[in-house]
Amino acid sequence: MPQRSRGKMAFILLLLLLLQFYLRPRLWDSRAAPDFILLGLLIYATRARPGAAAVAGFFTGLMMDSLGPSRFGAAALATTMVGYLAAWGRAVFFADNLLVHAGFIWGGVWLRDFIVLLASGATGRALLWQLAVWSPLQGLTTAVAGVLILVMFRDWLAIRLEA
Amino acid sequence: MNEQPDRARSRSDTVVFLACLLLSTGMLFAPPARTARLASAIRNSVLVPLIWMQQAAEEGKASRSRLALIQAQRDSIALLAQGLPALRDENDQLRRLLGVGQRKPLEFVAAEVLHQSSPTDGLTLLLSAGSAEGVARFSPVVAPEGLLGVISSVDRHTSIATTWAHPEFRASAYTDGGGVFGIVAPAAGATEPLLELRGVPYRDTIPAGTLVLTSGLGGVYPKGIPVGRVLGVVRELTGWERTYLVLPAANPAHAAHALVLLGSAELSLEGAFPDEAP
Repeated sequence: MPQRSRGKMAFILLLLLLLQFYLRPRLWDSRAAPDFILLGLLIYATRARPGAAAVAGFFTGLMMDSLGPSRFGAAALATTMVGYLAAWGRAVFFADNLLVHAGFIWGGVWLRDFIVLLASGATGRALLWQLAVWSPLQGLTTAVAGVLILVMFRDWLAIRLEA
Repeated sequence: MNEQPDRARSRSDTVVFLACLLLSTGMLFAPPARTARLASAIRNSVLVPLIWMQQAAEEGKASRSRLALIQAQRDSIALLAQGLPALRDENDQLRRLLGVGQRKPLEFVAAEVLHQSSPTDGLTLLLSAGSAEGVARFSPVVAPEGLLGVISSVDRHTSIATTWAHPEFRASAYTDGGGVFGIVAPAAGATEPLLELRGVPYRDTIPAGTLVLTSGLGGVYPKGIPVGRVLGVVRELTGWERTYLVLPAANPAHAAHALVLLGSAELSLEGAFPDEAP
């Protein structure tokens, strides 16, 4: 990544961090509010090598684990995998299409939740309920936020978005 | 020509990924005391400005959107408090007559609940009060509706509460009026978080709608904190014991404010919570 692009990416990630901790608490139910940190990870991962994306995912997860340590390490494991897979996914089949981006973000949120819940020992109907109701809802709001960010910063992120 | 470096980079990516996976898995199975120290160190260093920002946002939200609700609650409490001096005098007289000592005043710290985006938010809660405010490990955490959980880790200005939804939560409880004792624990297999009242003797039956309160046994929770209301029998061990399903009084996922109770668990909070309609 060139130096200038790195600066722009850092700005976007910082903005998402601010949104996570300043805007998100003011929104609706926390379980369905967009996850700006995971969005930042996905945006970064699709522009980085898989190794760098995995490291970014690991540190993102470490931060999440420190803030809600119901099972420490679960979020680190999940976001490491999501970051790595996102970087590979981008390299293999990604297209600059808004709907594909939205679906990709939605899938990232759902996969993160799935791994966190499994690693935390959630089972039965509680697991199904979370994965069938709350995770898709959070994925949807995160995807909408992601599309807005991508449209706003499409020049900085050097992407040609198709509708 | 470029295949060799590409392959080497791809291999290094895989190695880095596997190293991160290994570290994460290691943390999953590491002793909780060690991971709690690591989490505390991260919260007290790089996350301090972010937690501060979230706390400011929560306070801002509370001051705007919940102002009307808080005003209504304050008016109701003011109305209730009008009869308090007379009641206190009467109580003091009765205590003197019976030779009972004075009741200890209830001490607490108010804290904002800083919700996170993780799907396990609600099993543990990050609170905006820590050791500087007097919070200690095993301090009970309550919402206006009832019991939320207990403090499991304390930093200087934040703390982590393990809620009743956490699989490891247990509390001794009894039923209002009937005095049937049991242990409350999170119910397994329910779509929405519910509690179970376990170990109820087979000879005792608890009608649906009965209020369940903490018993004060065990030295953590004071007596009289509402836990929830009985929904019905969920299973029974014939001739031995029954387990009842309990609808929790307070939901950690919706809690915005919490009170951390300070001091001894020998306090009794019976009567401190307003009666709910069954």
